[in-house]
Amino acid sequence: MTAQRITRQGLLDWLNGVAAKATLIAPVRVEGIYLFRPIVKIEDIALDYSQSTVPPKEWLFPRSDTLFTIERLDRAYELKPPAAAGPRVLFGIRPCDARALAILDRLFLAEPADNLYEERRQNTVLVGLACARQQLPECFCTSLGGGPQEAANVDVLLAGAGEAYTVTVATEKGQQLLSGATLRDGGEMPPAPSLSNQVPTAGMAERLRLAFNSSYWQRLADRCLGCKMCTYLCPTCHCFDIRDCDVGGHAERVRCWDGCQSALFTKLAGGHNPRASKAARLRQFYAHKYLYFPERFGVTQCVGCGRCAHFCPVNIDIRETLRDLQTLEVCPHGSGETARRREPVGAAFGDSRASA
Amino acid sequence: MSDLVTGIRAQVRDLLARRRVEYVVGYETGSDGVNARPFFAYTTEEADRLVFDNTCTHNLTKYLVEPERRGSTIGVVVKPCDARSLTVLLAEHKFPRDVVAIGVVCPGIVQRTREGGDGEAPQARCQVCDQHTPPACDILVGEATAEGPVLDQFARLAPLEAQSAAERSAFWSQQFERCLRCYACRQTCPQCYCDECFAEALDPEWVGVRIGRAENWLFHAIRCFHLAGRCIGCDECERVCPVKIPLGLLNRKLRKEVLDRFEYRAGTRSDERPPLETFRKEEKLDLA
Ligand code: SF4
Ligand code: SF4
Ligand code: SF4
Ligand code: SF4
Ligand code: SF4
Repeated sequence: MTAQRITRQGLLDWLNGVAAKATLIAPVRVEGIYLFRPIVKIEDIALDYSQSTVPPKEWLFPRSDTLFTIERLDRAYELKPPAAAGPRVLFGIRPCDARALAILDRLFLAEPADNLYEERRQNTVLVGLACARQQLPECFCTSLGGGPQEAANVDVLLAGAGEAYTVTVATEKGQQLLSGATLRDGGEMPPAPSLSNQVPTAGMAERLRLAFNSSYWQRLADRCLGCKMCTYLCPTCHCFDIRDCDVGGHAERVRCWDGCQSALFTKLAGGHNPRASKAARLRQFYAHKYLYFPERFGVTQCVGCGRCAHFCPVNIDIRETLRDLQTLEVCPHGSGETARRREPVGAAFGDSRASA
Repeated sequence: MSDLVTGIRAQVRDLLARRRVEYVVGYETGSDGVNARPFFAYTTEEADRLVFDNTCTHNLTKYLVEPERRGSTIGVVVKPCDARSLTVLLAEHKFPRDVVAIGVVCPGIVQRTREGGDGEAPQARCQVCDQHTPPACDILVGEATAEGPVLDQFARLAPLEAQSAAERSAFWSQQFERCLRCYACRQTCPQCYCDECFAEALDPEWVGVRIGRAENWLFHAIRCFHLAGRCIGCDECERVCPVKIPLGLLNRKLRKEVLDRFEYRAGTRSDERPPLETFRKEEKLDLA
C-alpha cells in the first residue's frame, strides 16, 4: 500500500470521529509528565509528546484487574465476570511500546490464552506515532532490531510532526479505522532520527549464563533500592500478584502488578526466599529479559525503550549493564574497571548468608 | 578536583587502609557523565572513584538500614540533611554506633528534571536549608561555615494550607490516583526501614493489594504519619517518584505539625525519640 498523508487538522477531525465510536486513549500531559489516558477533549492529546512515563501496556494489562466478583446469595455464591472491554483505540503509541505489546502477546496469548488480555487486545486498534527525534537520552530500540519508525506492530503508523503526517496502513484493522479520514496521496517517510546509543545485545543469553555466579551482581545491586519502579515502567514486564479483596459487601479476585525487585515477590509461606538478596533479584531482571524469556518465547523481552535506566533513582542503567556483561571476565564492574570486591566482604552479601 | 573530593578520598582511603570500616558508601559519577550516583568503595583504589558535587542528591543513610547489611561496619558520606537522618536512626536505636559518618559541608544540590532539560536551580529543600555544616558526624570534610538566619521551612505549604479541607482532599485524591505503588518513595527513605511495611503486611492486611485510589490514599496517609517527627526533609521520596506526586508537601506538613505541637525538629537530638513514638504522663488526654 502506498503511503498517504493527513494534515494536522485532518487528523484531529478524524480522531473526533474515532472518539465517538470507541474509547480513545492517547498521551496527555499531567503534572509535567505524559500518561496514556482516555480522551475527553481532542485538544488534550499531546501530539508532540516525547514518551509516556507509564507505558501504554497499562491499557491491556492494567495495574489492577478484577478477574471476577463474588456475590453472596442466600446459601450460595455467585461468581460474576468483569464487564466486557468495549472497542478502544490506543493512539500515539511509540514503536518500542508497540513492539513490547507484541512481546506480551507471546506470553498472554500462548495457549491457554489469558482471556482478559485477549479480549482487550482484540478490541484495541493501535495507532502508532513514529519518533521524529530520540525521545529519551537512554533510548536504544535500534540495538534490538526495532526503530523509531517501525510499523510492524501497529495497525496504522503516523510519522511526522507539525502540520502533516505520513500515514502507513499496516493492517486491515487499521484500514477500517481510517475510513472517514481525509487522506491525500503521496506521503513520504521523513528521515529517521539516528540514536545516540548503540548497545551490544548479541549473544547476551550466553553472557548471562556465564555471569550467573559473578560478584558483578552484588556490586551492581549494592546501590539498588529494591523498589519496583523499573518493572512497573518497563513496557514488557508482566509479573502480577493475585489476591482476594473485600470491596464493601462483596469479594473480588484481583490481579495486580508485582515486580521481581521487591524482596516479598518470591518470599514463600514459611519464610524461605529463593531470591533472598538484592543481587539475585537484580540478576533476575536482566536474565528474565535476555535469557529466560528468549529461551521460552524466542524473543528478547526488552525493546530498548530506556525507561528503566531513565527513571531508576540510583542510575542502574541497562545500557551500562549490557556493555559490562559483554566483557565481564576482565571487567567485573563499570567500564574499564578491574576492581573486584574483596573477600570476605563479597561473601557476606551472598545468597547463602541472606537466606540463612 | 574540588577540595571536598580530595578530602573525601583521603578520609575514605584512610578508613579502608586501617580497616576501620568494611566499605564506604559515597558518590561516583553516573552513566551520563554528569550526575552522581551512589557508590560503594571497598578498596583504597576504589576510594579514588568517589566524587562530591551539587548533583549528589541521594540520602545514602538509607543503605545503613538494609537488612542485608546488618553486622557490618560501614562508612557513609553524609550531607547535613542526611546527617539528620542518621541522628533519627540513632535516637531510635536502629543500630549501634558502628557507622563512621563522613560529613561534607554542602554546597546545595541542584534540581534535575527527567525531561532532559537539566536545570541549575537549587532544590526546594536547599532553598530553605539553614544547616550547611553537618551536625553530629565523625569526620568533617570542608570548612565549617557560620550559618545564616533560620529560614522558613514551610513556605511551600502556604498555598495548600489556604485551601479548604474539601479542596485539599480533592487535590490529594487526584495526586494519589496516579500512584503505582512501586514503593520507590519508601525504598529510598532512610526513615522507612520496617522489615514488614504495613502496606504489604498480609495478616492483617491493612492495605488492599489493589493499586487504586482508595488503597493508595491509605498507603500515603499512614506512611506520612509513620514519618511525622521522623522525616528530616530530604525530599528524596518526591524526587524518585516517577509520576511526580508531591510527597515533599505532605511530609513537610506533618513536620510542621510536630514542630508546632511538640517543638521537635526531626534529626536534631539523638538522645530523644520522636514525639509520636513516646508517651509522657502529662500528655494524657482527659477523655471523661
Ligand atoms: S526507543 Fe526508539 S521507538 Fe522508543 S521512544 Fe525511543 S526512539 Fe522512539
Ligand atoms: S534497579 Fe533502580 S528502579 Fe529498579 S529496583 Fe533497583 S533502584 Fe529501583
Ligand atoms: S528492560 Fe528497560 S529498556 Fe528494556 S524494555 Fe524494559 S524498561 Fe525498556
Ligand atoms: S514513588 Fe510515587 S508512584 Fe511509587 S509508590 Fe511512591 S508515590 Fe507511588
Ligand atoms: S519522607 Fe521523604 S523527605 Fe522525609 S526523610 Fe523520607 S525520603 Fe526524606
